[in-house]
Amino acid sequence: MSNPYISRAARLLAAPAIVALIIAFYSRWFSVNNTTVALTLLLAILGISTWWGLLEATIASLIAVVGFNYYFLPPVGTLAVQDPQNWVALIAFLVTAVTASQLSVRAKRRTQEAVERRREVEGLYALSQTLLLSGSARTASQDLVSRVVKILGVSTAAFHTRSGDETFRWGPENPLISDEQLQADREEPLIDAPKGFAIIPVRLGGQALGNLGLAGPLPSEAVLNAVAYLVAIGIERARSMEEASHAEAERKSEVLKSALLDALAHDFRTPLTSVKAAVTSLLGRERPDEDRELLTIINEEADRLNRLVAEVLEMVRIEAGKLHPEKHPHDVAEIVHSALAELEPALHDRPVEVRLQDGLPQAEVDFDFVLQVLKQLLDNALKYSPLRSPLTVSARAGEGRIVISVADRGSGIPEAEQMRVFDKFFRAREHRFRVPGTGMGLAIAKGIVEAHGGKIWVTSEPGQGSVFSFSLPVYRGEMVK
Amino acid sequence: MSAGKILVVDDDPQIRRVMRATLVAHKYEVIEARNGEDALARISAEMPDLVLLDMNMPGIGGLETCRHLRSGSDVSIIVLSVRNSEKDKVAALDAGADDYITKPFGMEELLARIRAALRRSPSSPESGPHTLATRDLQIDFDTRRIHVKGKETRLTPKEFDLLRYLVSQAGKPVPHRELLQAVWGPDYGDEPEYLRVFINQLRKKIEPDPAKPRYILTEPWVGYRFAAT
Repeated sequence: MSNPYISRAARLLAAPAIVALIIAFYSRWFSVNNTTVALTLLLAILGISTWWGLLEATIASLIAVVGFNYYFLPPVGTLAVQDPQNWVALIAFLVTAVTASQLSVRAKRRTQEAVERRREVEGLYALSQTLLLSGSARTASQDLVSRVVKILGVSTAAFHTRSGDETFRWGPENPLISDEQLQADREEPLIDAPKGFAIIPVRLGGQALGNLGLAGPLPSEAVLNAVAYLVAIGIERARSMEEASHAEAERKSEVLKSALLDALAHDFRTPLTSVKAAVTSLLGRERPDEDRELLTIINEEADRLNRLVAEVLEMVRIEAGKLHPEKHPHDVAEIVHSALAELEPALHDRPVEVRLQDGLPQAEVDFDFVLQVLKQLLDNALKYSPLRSPLTVSARAGEGRIVISVADRGSGIPEAEQMRVFDKFFRAREHRFRVPGTGMGLAIAKGIVEAHGGKIWVTSEPGQGSVFSFSLPVYRGEMVK
Repeated sequence: MSAGKILVVDDDPQIRRVMRATLVAHKYEVIEARNGEDALARISAEMPDLVLLDMNMPGIGGLETCRHLRSGSDVSIIVLSVRNSEKDKVAALDAGADDYITKPFGMEELLARIRAALRRSPSSPESGPHTLATRDLQIDFDTRRIHVKGKETRLTPKEFDLLRYLVSQAGKPVPHRELLQAVWGPDYGDEPEYLRVFINQLRKKIEPDPAKPRYILTEPWVGYRFAAT
């Protein structure tokens, strides 16, 4: 497009020229009555107002009134008007010309506005399609800024996402859309039409998703708000789709882990089952003593291998986050007595003192898992304290937790090793070759306790003994005393 | 004369070999199936007294096989599984198994369980009731027939034995251990989950409203009691 000022000036000169041409035509070459002249002039002025504008039409109207008076109204050749009726005609002409011009200009403006509205709606529709077809929140943001530039006809668009703390830009850099402006926490849109920039907050349901910055010729505020709303919906939709596919991937990998663990358990235990069944079958028959001794060794080692497999699987399960305790309210006394009953053969020559606080609330735990922890601690206490030395099992409640402790009168654990006894495969230096074990028992106990949201710890005085304690959640339906 | 016919269902050939060698040595007749489909195909032709059923098998798997077996037969089913969580045990019992052994196991234990499973209480014991009739429940213990609201209902042998024992002690609370030993055998007593599952199934079959039992009542901390009135 050429310079708008020049074309405007040309039109301002052309409008009176057209009027002059009509007047010259009728006064010099083609004589008609005055009404025909006036109507022709009126038509020309209407055309000017429709195509060019109100100012052009108004100037043309004034020139037409003067020219018509001078060349056609008697006395012809002067600006005087003889017949007062002609004054009325002249004024009527002027009023008609100007009013009709105004009406036609207004109609033209309405049409233009309607066209603009249609374009804006088309733009918004195109934008919404773009946003709804984008795969991820990131590509949606990238598409969005380029589309906004193309569809709204602005020169620069930028979008800053709050969740990703990332800015996407399209179009030439514009200092008015600075990073600070985009990252600011704003409630209301900032629209500066004269400077040609706007920063609009993108929100959905009261939650701020980020800011959209635009520079260049701006559409109306209504359109800007609609764009911001569309962007919010598009980004949110892309984000929730991403989340859904993440969750699906996560679920699939969890299923895979579980399947792998199951396969592992099955594959290790199947040959062990044959070995164990075969050897116990042989042990069930009459055998010479030396055979019996050897078969017993096979049997015991099969058991040991099975325990090892169980421990390794449990460790893997804990580390894979696949330990899912099924928590129900249980009496701590029941857990303690079950553990003592199951270890009865090993405990028979040990005095065991059980000290349970009166009115203990129920614990919300997986009975079997916690039983396993307690048995592990009792087993350790048996292994690492002198024969026939007493053990104490105690339980007390406080601060929404129940703490169960197992105390022995063993040699204790040096301070440097106290932190490490719960590490996987850690074996105390002193006992490494003397006491059988895999170094997984306490690590598994720790995993189980932590899966219940509890803690496990040890206090020990070298030479005096050790106290292993763990905390468990109190069943919520109960009052903590 | 064989001590009983046992169908061994396991996909591992070595386990089937050990089972066959041991069970045959103990005078059992042994037939084998490599998977669930195979087991279901053989059951009607072979009519075994007992099925040793592996859980983890390719194809339809142990649980599904158990359900199918139970839907068409009263045969005793002992499930053998590498899993030992209570959830897995309950699932197997719910699917119709009578007993559950965790792999690996000692052969003596398995043999004891097999003997217990095959030891059906005689159909008309000297002591105990012969019939029971209430408004909507009729039981004939001699013919092992039971009618609920006039309709004949099928109980598995274990369910039937459990019901008969409770009825024989009607009105008295029967402790868990006593009930387990009376129905499963003297080696049992620490399997409260067995009772939970079987009592549940019994209630579903004979109670007008299993959620609010009228006949088989729970005695908290003790056991169960049959209320005949």
